[in-house]
Amino acid sequence: MKTDTAPAVTPVRREVRPKAGKQSAGLLGGVSHVMLVLWTILTVTPIVYTFLNSFKTNTEIFGDSPLALPQQWGWGAWGRAWETSRIGEYLVNTVIVVAFSTFFTMLLGSMAAYVLSRYEFRGNRLIYTLFVAGLSIPPFLALSALYKVVDNVGLLGTHTGVVLVYVAYSMPFTVFFLTAFFKTLPTTVAEAAMMDGCGHARTFFQIMLPMAKPGLISITIFNVIGQWNQYLLPIALLPGDKQDKWLITQGIANISTSAGYEADWAGLFAALSMAIIPILIVYVIFQRQIQTGLTAGVGK
Amino acid sequence: MASIVLNNVDKIYAGGVKAVNGLNLEIKDGEFMVLVGPSGCGKSTALRMIAGLEDISGGEIVIGDRVVNHLPPKDRDIAMVFQNYALYPHMTVEENLAFGLKLRKMSKPEIAKRVNEAAKMLGLEQYLKRKPAALSGGQRQRVAMGRAIVREPQAFLMDEPLSNLDAKLRVSMRASLNQLHERLGVTTVYVTHDQVEAMTLGDRVCVLRDGILQQVDTPQNLFDKPVNLFVAGFMGSPSMNFTYAELVRDGAGAAVAFAGYKLPVPDTAFAEKAGLERYIGKRIILGIRPSDFEDAVAANGASAGWARVPVKANVTEELGSEINVLFTIDAPPVEHKDTVAAANDGDEEEAAALPLTGDKSLWTARVNARSHVRPGQNIELVVDTHNLHFFDVESGLSIGHPANVGR
Repeated sequence: MKTDTAPAVTPVRREVRPKAGKQSAGLLGGVSHVMLVLWTILTVTPIVYTFLNSFKTNTEIFGDSPLALPQQWGWGAWGRAWETSRIGEYLVNTVIVVAFSTFFTMLLGSMAAYVLSRYEFRGNRLIYTLFVAGLSIPPFLALSALYKVVDNVGLLGTHTGVVLVYVAYSMPFTVFFLTAFFKTLPTTVAEAAMMDGCGHARTFFQIMLPMAKPGLISITIFNVIGQWNQYLLPIALLPGDKQDKWLITQGIANISTSAGYEADWAGLFAALSMAIIPILIVYVIFQRQIQTGLTAGVGK
Repeated sequence: MASIVLNNVDKIYAGGVKAVNGLNLEIKDGEFMVLVGPSGCGKSTALRMIAGLEDISGGEIVIGDRVVNHLPPKDRDIAMVFQNYALYPHMTVEENLAFGLKLRKMSKPEIAKRVNEAAKMLGLEQYLKRKPAALSGGQRQRVAMGRAIVREPQAFLMDEPLSNLDAKLRVSMRASLNQLHERLGVTTVYVTHDQVEAMTLGDRVCVLRDGILQQVDTPQNLFDKPVNLFVAGFMGSPSMNFTYAELVRDGAGAAVAFAGYKLPVPDTAFAEKAGLERYIGKRIILGIRPSDFEDAVAANGASAGWARVPVKANVTEELGSEINVLFTIDAPPVEHKDTVAAANDGDEEEAAALPLTGDKSLWTARVNARSHVRPGQNIELVVDTHNLHFFDVESGLSIGHPANVGR
C-alpha cells in the first residue's frame, strides 16, 4: 500500500545480547538449586532416619549419635513388626480398603464432576455447592454421628463401612477438582464423539476420561495418600475388638502404645517403613504419567 | 445422500435471544450450500441444529425424508467437521478415522478398507500410526475431514473448517474441498464468515444476518443482484461503494446525480429493474462495485455505456494484477443499518485508515495494473453504468430485485 504521505521508515533491529541473559538465568538457576537442595534435605532426612532406625537396637536409637549407621544390619525388627505386631496383616487390609475406596471415589467423583461441568440442568449449581460444602466439614465434627450411623446400618467394624466413609470424605475435593478440570477440556471433542455415534456414557468413558488422564492421576495420588494415612476414621470405625480388621495406622500406633516402657522402637520404625514404601511406589509410578498437555493435538 | 430442508426454524436461547429466526432453507441432494454472515448471525447455530447439537426451538428440520427434530446426532446419519478439528487426542489417526465405524458395528475388513481409501484420498497414509499431537495443522484438518468421509454419511456439515489454517494452506485446502465434493457428491452444508470462501465453494450461498435469511442464490447472482444493502456490502472484496444520490430525468435521458457527478442511467436499467421509474426525482442509495470502475486510459475504446468520473487518488494498493485506487467523494458516507452491519464484519479494508471529514466518503476502484496511477495523482475513471445498483433509502432493499417486488 502506498499513500501520498509516506511514513518515515524506522527499521527495527532486534538486539541480541546473549551474555546478559545467560548471567541472570545462571544466578536464578543457582538460587533455585540451593532451594531445591535444602528442600530435598528437609524431605529426605526423616525418611532416611526412619529406614536407618529400623535396623538399629533401642540403645543405638537413643545413643549419642542418632544419625550413625547401625552396627549390625539385620531384618530382626522388620520381622517382629510383620509377625508379632501383625503389620503384614494390616498392610493387606489397608491395601484392600484403599484400593476399593479410591476406585469408587474416582469412578463416582469423575462421573459427578463431568455431569456437573458439562450438562445444564436445574439444580446443577446447588448440587455442586453441596458437594463443595463437604470440604468445610472436618472429620472430628462428624465423628460421633458417623459412628452412630455406621453402627446403625450394621457396618461397624467392617471394611465396607470404612470404604463407604472414605469415599464420602474424598468426594468433595475430587468433585471440586475434576469439575474445574473437565471445564478446561474442549467441548467439541465430546460433540464430535456424539456425531460419530457415541451415547453419553460412551462419550464419557471412551473419550472424556482418557483426555482427563492427567487430572485423574493427580487426584488419584492425592486420594490414595490421604486415605492411606487416615487414622482418625479407622480408630472410630474399626474398634479394638475387631483387631483383625485394623488398618496399618492403627497397627503402628498400637506398637508404641501397647508396650509401655518396653517399647520396640526399631519395630516401630520398621512398621513405619512398611507404610511408607507402598506410597513411594505409587508416587514413583504415577508421577511419570502426570503430563500436562495431553490435550495437545485436539485442535489447531 | 439426501436433501436437507429447514421449515421456519427458530432458535431462542435462554434469556430470549433469538439466534435463528424463522429460517426456511432447502438444500438439495448433493448440493454444496454455504451459510455466510458476520459473527453472531446465527449461521453456526443453524448448522448445530441440523447436526443435533442444539435443540430446535421451533419449526422442523428434515433430512432425507425424516423429520429429525428429536433424533440424537448419532441417528441422523450425518458427519461434522469442526472448526478446531476436535480429534481424539489419545487415539492414532487410524483409530480416529475408524472410531465412528466401530461404533456402527462394521466388520473389520470393511473398516480397514474405508480407512485406507480415505487416507489415500487425503494423503494421510504415512501418518496412520501417529497421534494427532504429532501432526501439523493441515494434517489434522485432513484427519478431521477423513473422519467425516469414512462414515459415508447422508450429509457433511462443516463449521469453518479452514479458519485455523494459514492463508496459503487455506487456498489449497479450498481447492481440495471443491474436488472432494465433486468426487463424492455428498450434500454439504458449510459455515463460514469469509465471503471469498463462500463465493468459491458454494453451489449456492445463503447470507444470514441477525438470524434472518437475507438471500439464497448462486455466488454470481449474489454478487450481481444483491437483494439489499447488507448483501451488497457483505459480498465482494473490496466491498461495494455507496452514496446517497438523486435519480433525475431531463432532455438527455435519465441520470443519477451525486457529489457533483452525473452518471447516465441506461434505458436497459429501467427495463430490468421494475419500479425504478417511480424513484425518478427521489433520493436513492447508489451502489457501484469497485470492479465496475476502470482507468479511462487503460480502458480506451470500451466506452459504450461507460461514464467518465475524474477523481484524485488518495491511496493506491498495487496487487500485481490490478490496482485498488482509494479516493474520496464529496458526499457524506451512507449510514444505513445494513451498510454499518456489513462493514463491521466484512473484510477489514483500510476504510478507517484515512481521516475523513464528515461530508466525505471513501470509495475504492479496482483498475487494471497497466494504469500506473500514483497516490495524489488525478485520474479519470470510467464506470460501467449497466452495473449500477439502486437501493431504497428507507428499507435498504434493492430496487427492482425480483424478490423485492411488492415489498
